Amino acid sequence: MPKAGITVEECMITKWEKKVGDSVKLGDVLFSYETDKAAFECESTAEGELLEIFYGDGDEVPVLINVCAIGKKGEDVSSLRPGNSVSAESEPSPAKAEEVKEAEKPAPEVTAAAPGDIIKISPRAKNLAEKRNADIKAAVPTGPSGRIIERDIIALLNGEGGSGIGGRILVGEEKAAKADISAAAPAEDEFEDVPFTKIRQVIAKSMSASLSEIPQLTHHHSFDATNILELRKCVKASGEKMGLPNITLNDMILYAVSRTLLKFPDFNANVLPDGKGVRRFKHVHLGVAMDTPRGLMVPTIFNADTKSLSEIAEESKALGKAAKAGNINPDLLQGATFTVSNLGNLGVEMFTPVINAPQTCILGVCSLITRFKMVGETAKPYQAMGLSVTYDHRVIDGAPEARFAAELIFNLENFTALLV
Amino acid sequence: MPKSLYVDPAKTLAPGKITFEDIPVNVYNKTIEDEKANFSDADFIRIFRDIAVLREFETMLSLVKTQGSYNGINIEYPGPAHLSLGQEAAAVGEAYLLDIDDFIFGSHRSHSEILAKSLSAIYKLSDDELMKIMESFKDGKVLRTVEKMSKPDSVKELAIQFILYGTLTEVFARENGLQNGMGGSMHAFFLPFGVYPNNAIVGGSACISTGAALYKKCNKKKGIVVCNSGDGSLGCGPVWEALNFASMEQFTKLWEDGKNGGMPIIFNFFNNSYGMGGQTRGETMAYDMLARIGAGISPTQLHAERVNGFNPLAVIDVYRRKKQLVENGEGPVLLDVLTYRFSGHSTSDQNAYRSKEEIDAWKEIDPIVTYRKALTDAGIAPDASFEDILNETKDRMTRICSWAADTEVSPYADFDADPYFVEKTMFSNQKVVKFDDREPEALTAKEDCPTYKKIKDKIRTATFDGKPTPKLRMYNIRDALSETILDKFYEDPTMISYGEDVRDWGGAYAVYRGMSESIPYSRLFNAPISESAIVSSGVGYAICGGRALIEIMYADFIGRAGDEIFNQLSKWQSMSAGILKMPVVVRVSVGSKYGAQHSQDWTSLCAHIPGLKVCFPATPWEAKGLMRSALNGTDPVIFFESQRIYDKGEEFREGGVPEEDYEITIGDTNVVKTGDDITIITVGATLYKAVDAAKELSEKYGMNAEIINLHSLVPLDYTKIVESVKKTGKVVLASDACARGSFLNDVARNITELCFDYLDAPPAVVGAQNWITPPHEFDAKFFPQASWILDAINEKIIPLKGHVPTVSFTPVEQMRKAKLGV
Repeated sequence: MPKAGITVEECMITKWEKKVGDSVKLGDVLFSYETDKAAFECESTAEGELLEIFYGDGDEVPVLINVCAIGKKGEDVSSLRPGNSVSAESEPSPAKAEEVKEAEKPAPEVTAAAPGDIIKISPRAKNLAEKRNADIKAAVPTGPSGRIIERDIIALLNGEGGSGIGGRILVGEEKAAKADISAAAPAEDEFEDVPFTKIRQVIAKSMSASLSEIPQLTHHHSFDATNILELRKCVKASGEKMGLPNITLNDMILYAVSRTLLKFPDFNANVLPDGKGVRRFKHVHLGVAMDTPRGLMVPTIFNADTKSLSEIAEESKALGKAAKAGNINPDLLQGATFTVSNLGNLGVEMFTPVINAPQTCILGVCSLITRFKMVGETAKPYQAMGLSVTYDHRVIDGAPEARFAAELIFNLENFTALLV
Repeated sequence: MPKSLYVDPAKTLAPGKITFEDIPVNVYNKTIEDEKANFSDADFIRIFRDIAVLREFETMLSLVKTQGSYNGINIEYPGPAHLSLGQEAAAVGEAYLLDIDDFIFGSHRSHSEILAKSLSAIYKLSDDELMKIMESFKDGKVLRTVEKMSKPDSVKELAIQFILYGTLTEVFARENGLQNGMGGSMHAFFLPFGVYPNNAIVGGSACISTGAALYKKCNKKKGIVVCNSGDGSLGCGPVWEALNFASMEQFTKLWEDGKNGGMPIIFNFFNNSYGMGGQTRGETMAYDMLARIGAGISPTQLHAERVNGFNPLAVIDVYRRKKQLVENGEGPVLLDVLTYRFSGHSTSDQNAYRSKEEIDAWKEIDPIVTYRKALTDAGIAPDASFEDILNETKDRMTRICSWAADTEVSPYADFDADPYFVEKTMFSNQKVVKFDDREPEALTAKEDCPTYKKIKDKIRTATFDGKPTPKLRMYNIRDALSETILDKFYEDPTMISYGEDVRDWGGAYAVYRGMSESIPYSRLFNAPISESAIVSSGVGYAICGGRALIEIMYADFIGRAGDEIFNQLSKWQSMSAGILKMPVVVRVSVGSKYGAQHSQDWTSLCAHIPGLKVCFPATPWEAKGLMRSALNGTDPVIFFESQRIYDKGEEFREGGVPEEDYEITIGDTNVVKTGDDITIITVGATLYKAVDAAKELSEKYGMNAEIINLHSLVPLDYTKIVESVKKTGKVVLASDACARGSFLNDVARNITELCFDYLDAPPAVVGAQNWITPPHEFDAKFFPQASWILDAINEKIIPLKGHVPTVSFTPVEQMRKAKLGV
């Protein structure tokens, strides 16, 4: 019986999903159980045949007590029986002779790690797992006597898992996995190893860090782009005459974001280095992700909330030019409080942008798609634009994100009014 | 083995016989009348008074121990009381002629000797000198207490009360005691009166006194040394070592002019016929009469004499004659001073081994009765005046006992208020470059010493111009030691160095080679094969104010100096409450190639004993810096060296070994190689195995090891170790010491506690097998090898892919070995 929490002392078995004689695979749900607060499912940590069930449905079982035995058919399970108590359901007499016979055989290796078997893990590995939110149960132990050591957690974090539950490498799989690398390796002239450039190394490092250290998730939204498309059309037609710069849809989104963020201080923030708080900013410094020949670069428009639409448009263009030319001032590549990444013009319909740590949120801008909405009885087509918002769940919960997105969408759908 | 002494086969093998002079036995037969030329009436009476003071002190302690009260003063005292009731006249007789510059050392039964010598000193010192001594002792704290309690009409009476009070509070473990109460009954002493440490190990003072005499002799200091010991101590080997060491013929035959002559020491055996309960004459000893053994030691027969210690005048008489001999350079002297203890060995002694008639017969001739009667009969003073002295003595003792018993007047040290009370005296931690300002004596200038010339032009790195430095031109560990020792010879005039074969041979491992050309005999000499005497004479030498550098040829011989290293050298600084300093460096070489009794690394034994600093350099840079620190310090250092690596050059330190002086703090650690993946901690020659292991880890397994060499075991600063282990999470510790009880287990435990949350595996300790050391040909099976370090890592810390173990570190093997004790 797993220990479902530090203070939990016993749990009730709700329902057995397997019965004696069933074959059980690693990760199969054996039974469901509950405490006074929550319900759980117990996955098998062993493979084989379910040989005996020690407690039935509705039984209250102290934690860390064997509830069943899994092993090879015919194996003696008496040593696993809690307190060697006689199972109520067992039929003693016919089994007796069998047991004696079994006893004469050399004791078979009991591989069945009954639930509650302790996980051997070094303090260092445990600390790393806690820090990086890795599931230690998913780590493949390679340390002495089956201990999970630091390298196993690193392997887990690098995604070197198996096909078992939580990425466990199943018996036999480990060797195969390793063999595959050499067997499947093509002849040398069929590939070329290209070392990362400096900037690629930086990107690799910060992306890995973001994904491994931040619990982040993405919400997908869309909005009716009719208003901004009309404005864009208008600016395109007469902007030059009016002395306006070329204002793109992205510029408008940047503007709308800059006017929305200050109402949501946790979205315009950095997580503090100790991970125990956030630094909220009084102004919006917008990072604008840009595709350059050298790779991804994110220059910053400082104090965007104080700048007009045309100022933002001009600055964004100048930054883009400098970034592409590769001569951008490094000071302009840092200090952002929020990032906007636009893949819409490349036709991406939806994506999960990666947070640029220590920021708490990133907005992904997606392509325009024709959608329909019902106006009265008729389906009316309109241009919808997708927004993918990834946020740091340590700082921001789902509902606040939804409120932030709703406000942003409102501002975008009523963009002309926002300019007033 | 000096070439100047020719071992002539003809003379050596010539027939002849050994003849002996008669040894006088109780020849003193003078009357009081005869002695009137030597003593005034006041002298005669003062002798009686001193005997009475001693007798009352012991009587008081006897009552305290047996009845819990003395003259109405109640006191519980749980500690030892080895009383010298009955032996007082002998002690007074001994002390009578001794000057302040004459030192006495004693045993567990030395209250009478301490007090007799103190009373003698008080009589000889002027009032000003006495006040100065008492004012400066512990900043006058003890004096203040005595002054507060009593207003004596003379400084001498004040001084008597001062020493009685200081001694008694020391016995009672009070902070006002002579050693803050930390020494106790068997260890009390008071240097300003020439009362040097007394020793609870039977015969323990013999070698220490010899060292004190060596100090006087080598540094031309005034005075003689008296070693007090009991007849029972002649069953102890170190006492014989001391008798021989002090009588070595080189003192007269080989030592340079001005320093030659006999050792200024009197071995005074208070012979009370019992060693605890064993009767020495007739039962446990062979000598029949103790004085006989003088004839066995040297042609002078140590001027041995047997004298009646129940007659104070007989003892004074023998001292008058023997002191003169010693001062004339004809020492040592051996005295067999007959006496008798009326009480048991200790207060728990039931006297089952002797009859009541015997005790009564001796009590009938009790000097306090017979000497008094002799004085009365000779008309020196009326009998009533002796009664007055006894009453006055008893009255004084009663008052002093009441002050000492009162915890308000004489509190115990408050360990709660000062938790570091003992801790702060464990080491003196001072830097004293030289103990005297006089010009160090030498036969040549340092620059002309062959040792200096040999080292001067050597290349101080292991590689030169990218190639390995040629062996003969490379500055190695041996050179680092020689260079530093030679420097100190020319810096500190008090430094002397001795051990087996250190002079002409140059030390078994050539560290002293060439120095005999420049350093005179009195500062660098061959000791007999007497490890006890070598170590404890160093203790005595240091106690008196000199610096001793001594050598134990193999670590395995530490056993021969067990008491001297583990009880004397280590404990005296703290037992003296920090009064004594112990600038003794004991060089100990860890052997190889010579089998089971010449190859063991005993660092762990030394590290276990509180009060010793323990170093074990493994590189020339470490050797020089540590030797410098050890020789500049004031603490006892057991300085281990490995015979495997004397020839090693400096492989790790950028720029090699500096030519100028530098110190390495004893307790620091040496990070010889940095790395991120695993920490390897080493002691001694195993460092080089670790370097090999690190190479293999890097080449085969892509692991970058950090190597930290513990050149110091005690003290030990864990800062860098903790830093490293927090970084790597993995640590293996290796040394040549046998694994069971290795000091590295202690380090491993501390690492586990200090870095637990950072560890990826428990620290693994790799030591030698728990066997005898087999012959050299089997070294790889006994001592840790690079492969063993990898085996331990593979089995206990992080499995190494494809590693094939050479030795088993499995839990099953660990349990099996432990179960069998191997």
